[in-house]
Amino acid sequence: MPEGIFKIYYLSEAAVTVEFGQRITSNLLNAVNSLNILLYRQPFPGFHTTVPAYSTLTVFYDPVLVIKSDLPGADCFEKVSGYLNNLNPQQKAVKPAIRNIVTIPVCYGGGFGPDLAEVASLHQLSIAEVIKLHSAVTYKVYMIGFIPGFAYLGGMDERLSTPRKLTPRKSVPAGAVGVAGLQTGVYPLESPGGWQIIGQTPVKLFDLNRREPSLLKSGDTVIFKAIDIKGFNKLATG
Amino acid sequence: MRIRVLKPGLMSTIQDMGRYQYLSQAVPVSGAMDRLSARMANKALGNGDNAAVIEFTYADAAFIAETDLLISYTGDGAILTSEGYQLPAGRPLFILSGAIIKLTNNPSGSRTYLAVAGGWDVPEILGSKSTYLAVGFGGLDGRALRRGDILKSEQGLTEITKKILKSLKGDKVTYPGWSITGQSFLPADRKTIRVMRGNEFDWFDARSISVFLSTSYIIGRQSNRMGYHLEGAMIARKKKNELLSSAVMPGTIQVTGSGSMVLLMADCQTTGGYPRIAQVAAVDMPLCAQLKPGDSIFFKEISWRDAEMLYIEREQQLQQLTIAVQSKFL
Repeated sequence: MPEGIFKIYYLSEAAVTVEFGQRITSNLLNAVNSLNILLYRQPFPGFHTTVPAYSTLTVFYDPVLVIKSDLPGADCFEKVSGYLNNLNPQQKAVKPAIRNIVTIPVCYGGGFGPDLAEVASLHQLSIAEVIKLHSAVTYKVYMIGFIPGFAYLGGMDERLSTPRKLTPRKSVPAGAVGVAGLQTGVYPLESPGGWQIIGQTPVKLFDLNRREPSLLKSGDTVIFKAIDIKGFNKLATG
Repeated sequence: MRIRVLKPGLMSTIQDMGRYQYLSQAVPVSGAMDRLSARMANKALGNGDNAAVIEFTYADAAFIAETDLLISYTGDGAILTSEGYQLPAGRPLFILSGAIIKLTNNPSGSRTYLAVAGGWDVPEILGSKSTYLAVGFGGLDGRALRRGDILKSEQGLTEITKKILKSLKGDKVTYPGWSITGQSFLPADRKTIRVMRGNEFDWFDARSISVFLSTSYIIGRQSNRMGYHLEGAMIARKKKNELLSSAVMPGTIQVTGSGSMVLLMADCQTTGGYPRIAQVAAVDMPLCAQLKPGDSIFFKEISWRDAEMLYIEREQQLQQLTIAVQSKFL
């Protein structure tokens, strides 16, 4: 599909999904986030909220308010999709969102990264090389999903692509940094997990005491910065 | 008003109409599984629909009134009794301090909702009082109720609630002659769940689709507030594409890699990568919420247009019901 062209389908009586394509590319992600910004700037009557994903934006609304609105169309789907279609041509005028750049300090290896040595030996790399490869690139948040604050990051060096653990761990601590296939990410909360754990961050990815509990949002840029155990403890207690 | 939990039951949590503003941060919507029953319990008291209620799962729970109470209950998980007498559902009930209320077996469903005048007083977390157990926030300290827990009601009452309280207050259990019930809104056939085509409906082979829409499926043992496993004929795919994860919601029916189906419920994840064969009509989600492991159901296809009309009709009926309750006390 050419850029900016989308199809719209029903997710439920109270939500439609706008689909820009079925690939993981930064262009599609930009299209998703541009429409998201535009919609929040110019919401329609009955608009509730959105869920951006890799190549889709799902738009939630109150059907009772939408059906009562003056939007043209015989049902909510026609009214909402008509509105979204008309919003779209202006999309190019939306400046790409101001990209948050979030630096996440990570203490690699040791007790914080029990699988680091295994990942290194699997790829015939030294531990230092794995750390360097993981912390040298910038990542993009393609989606927040799975559990609160969990970011699906794209952009990992292909040399680090590692299969999941054969037996998932019963518990992975909050802040654990893992790799699985071509993906990397941080566990925001203690949970069971099958990713290879190579380090841990003292930063809270999800914190109910913040106005926006999730540290990351769709479209953000993420950089991992290697820190030592002293730096970890300082940040963890600070 | 105040109660103390004597016996918490299998799983009792505080819920409201859900948490919608943080879906983009992967915070699930949560809230009452059977939204219709929860709203009815609130309407019977003159509360707003979103007032916090207790969701009980099955029976075998009990609490004591530590003050005089104005409560109501609805749903199909249990019948409330006080000193051996059944308390009627769907009505405001004036209860004297010291009364012990028990939830006794009602095999027709699984969940019961207890509302109190003003709603149960727990802090609002991310815009909702609903308990989200998997991460442990909302409701009462993010957990299910335990023996000894004390729950208080909110101070502020609506004008209608004040009038109901005034008219029922006395020296014994009192309730009016009328009742409201969700049953009147629901189809008589409670085993047939209406669904609409999911976006990946065409990914499945025609035979599987016809099996999906004609044979029975059983609610699996592993079912909980996050989702139900549907046991029955496997669904085969003709299109083997990988699906990029995108938003899902309660009512979405996903087909897993093995061909089995999962019906997502209130605490489901916000995104999913399994193809979606169908979406349960919102008006039939209250039926699903009352299902128990081992219950069998059928699916029947309706159009999206019809589903939308049913949704709006249901909301209009509920609006009329609120006015009807108010008119009894004006």
